[in-house]
Amino acid sequence: MDPDFDETQLLLQTTTRQFLEGEVPFERVREHEEKCRADQKLWQAMAAQGWLGVALPEAVGGGGAGLVEAGILVHELARRAAVVPGVEALASAIVLARHADADQSALLRGIVDGEVVVVPALLEAGDDFAQVDSAVGEAGELSGEKRFVDYPDFATHHLVSARGPEGLGLYLVERGDAAIETEERSCTGRTPQADVRYRGANAQRVAGESAVGQLLDIGRALTAAQILGSMEVSLEMTVEYTNLRVQFGQPLASFQAVQHHAADMCMHVESNRFMVYELLDSLERGTAGSADAALVKASVSRSVPFVTMQAHQLHGGQGLIEENDLYFFTIRGKDRSLAWGTAEECLAKVAEDVESPPRWI
Amino acid sequence: MDFRWPDEYLAFRDEVDAFIQQWRTPELAAEIQQREGAPGPLSRKYFAALQDRGWMRMCWPADMGGEGRDPIYQFILVEAMEYWRMPYGNLTFTSIAPSIGQYGSEHQKQKYLPGIWNGELTFAIGYSEPNAGTDLAALRTKGEKVEGGWKVNGQKIWTSLAENSTHIWLATRTDPDAKKHAGISVLIVQTNAPGVTIRPLKTMSGLTTYETFYDDVFVPDEDVLPPLHGGWGVIMHALNHERVGLSPTSNLVRNYDVVVAELQRNAPHKLADPVVRMRLAELRMELERHRALAIRNAVTISRGEIKPGEASMAKISGSELRYRMSNLLVDILGRVGGLARDDDHAVERALVQGNFLSSPILRFGGGTNEVQRSILAARHLGMTR
Repeated sequence: MDPDFDETQLLLQTTTRQFLEGEVPFERVREHEEKCRADQKLWQAMAAQGWLGVALPEAVGGGGAGLVEAGILVHELARRAAVVPGVEALASAIVLARHADADQSALLRGIVDGEVVVVPALLEAGDDFAQVDSAVGEAGELSGEKRFVDYPDFATHHLVSARGPEGLGLYLVERGDAAIETEERSCTGRTPQADVRYRGANAQRVAGESAVGQLLDIGRALTAAQILGSMEVSLEMTVEYTNLRVQFGQPLASFQAVQHHAADMCMHVESNRFMVYELLDSLERGTAGSADAALVKASVSRSVPFVTMQAHQLHGGQGLIEENDLYFFTIRGKDRSLAWGTAEECLAKVAEDVESPPRWI
Repeated sequence: MDFRWPDEYLAFRDEVDAFIQQWRTPELAAEIQQREGAPGPLSRKYFAALQDRGWMRMCWPADMGGEGRDPIYQFILVEAMEYWRMPYGNLTFTSIAPSIGQYGSEHQKQKYLPGIWNGELTFAIGYSEPNAGTDLAALRTKGEKVEGGWKVNGQKIWTSLAENSTHIWLATRTDPDAKKHAGISVLIVQTNAPGVTIRPLKTMSGLTTYETFYDDVFVPDEDVLPPLHGGWGVIMHALNHERVGLSPTSNLVRNYDVVVAELQRNAPHKLADPVVRMRLAELRMELERHRALAIRNAVTISRGEIKPGEASMAKISGSELRYRMSNLLVDILGRVGGLARDDDHAVERALVQGNFLSSPILRFGGGTNEVQRSILAARHLGMTR
């Protein structure tokens, strides 16, 4: 039982944080947010750093690491509120590498280089990941509509859940296909998201039904790491602000009422930190399942509004203006709490098996 | 980073569990309940068996008669015992014995430790006073130097287990002229010493606590924990020792398990209700959050590191969850959930109802959750005091 990063992981965290702090000033985040476009330059830098293949096999140019390392990256990206599809691309790549029926090494090499960007397209009108009406015909033509696809126009490929002649599975679709239409949505998180219609787009089946579930689990785990990043920074900013801000002749941080709010925020951050990395580690080792991923996603999704709203409470008006960086974490955190299954949806998954005894060590 | 429990820990958990199943009889449970912690014929045998296993000292260094195992073993022992509510000496083992081992004179070690190991000697803790609760260092129970020892006068409150203990671990002001934290010593006082009066205070959960009065009680020099006037350090050490298993997840899980089993047996329609299932799912989520903080704290302690904020988080989280969880579980059971321990229709001797009524103790006891939050803010987050 070792809940701390090993030396290599610590180095990854430190170098990633340093790199992003230099590379991604919040002013640049504001620009991309305003345009609602992915940060292409950052994506290229991420490829150059080897991040995009961190959890892919060395045979395709990847880093040969696992979900924990992928988690560290998206956690750090979230700390900068970076406008890139880190979770989406890493989750897709990991599932493709693990589950592809045929050899996808050319595609995976492209992912590592940053030339290929694959994002998942899973959710449909029923707002239920299990309800898939998108269909692929005998000739490989995909018809259907997916909702809230992240970065669909930045992506070169979509990884789409659909039912084909061989049953439910994941299908790869090239974004350039004329039979794809996107309709941008304006979302809380201010990152590019759109509903996507596939009208007979050319689709290649790449993996079967089990891969759909695994993509969901990994997507939830990485999104949880991303949300953790949001709440962690909110807390840090709050400690810093209340230590500096003087009212009634003393720093706000010295008031017990303020301290106790921060303490409660801290407990949310620290319990979720353990849970998120335990989930990533256990998924990597094959000892965690869908219910575990759902539980952790539910937990961070419940915690992040609490932590960020308490941060606002302690920042007062300062925290609401967009010149302050706090709002990034509030809006991204809330947005991601909705993505990949809300707290309610995830708890409903946990509720399927309440009979098994909970663990205590 | 590796969140798997090594096999030897899991094997230890199974070993403890097998031991518990062997000893967990209705007769032993009845005896313990009836005697409220005082040793009886069955519990003496049980403690002897527990002592044979060597588990009470396994985490002590070899030169203090232990095996030098890492404190995670104690964490697992406490969790396993707490699940089944088996006695394991509680604070006498986890807090007092290590302090005697660390600070006690040779004479004190010889005199007290063997009796603690076989369950004959049990300690009540005399820290709080009517005017020194959360602000413990304000304590006023005073010891005056007399020939061969100390004459003690004062009053303690919340001296739980006092009536059924052989000794009291008494924080006493031995130097009235020193600063608040500097003039305190720990005295070992026999509960049957002349001048000690014990008055029971019945609590709403059905458990009894005590206030204890000290009227010219003589305590020989040999029963003063060294260093004289250095008792604050001894108390802090004792509190640190409690911290590895201070807020078990397992007894909360047991509440959950008892309720689910009851619903399966007698109210399957409730368990089939999606609203109830969502409530239980939320409790599972909260249990995982608490488990995370409890393990995090135990791992840090096992490495010999001191991070007071982590202990505070585990303490707050476990005690807050205990009240929320037992409250909700009583509701889910319905009217039968409200039955008291002496009602023969009560579920599992009103375990959940009892936990609800006793949950306030854990929120304010052992350092109030408010003080813990202040510790967390100052020492973990670095907020200005």
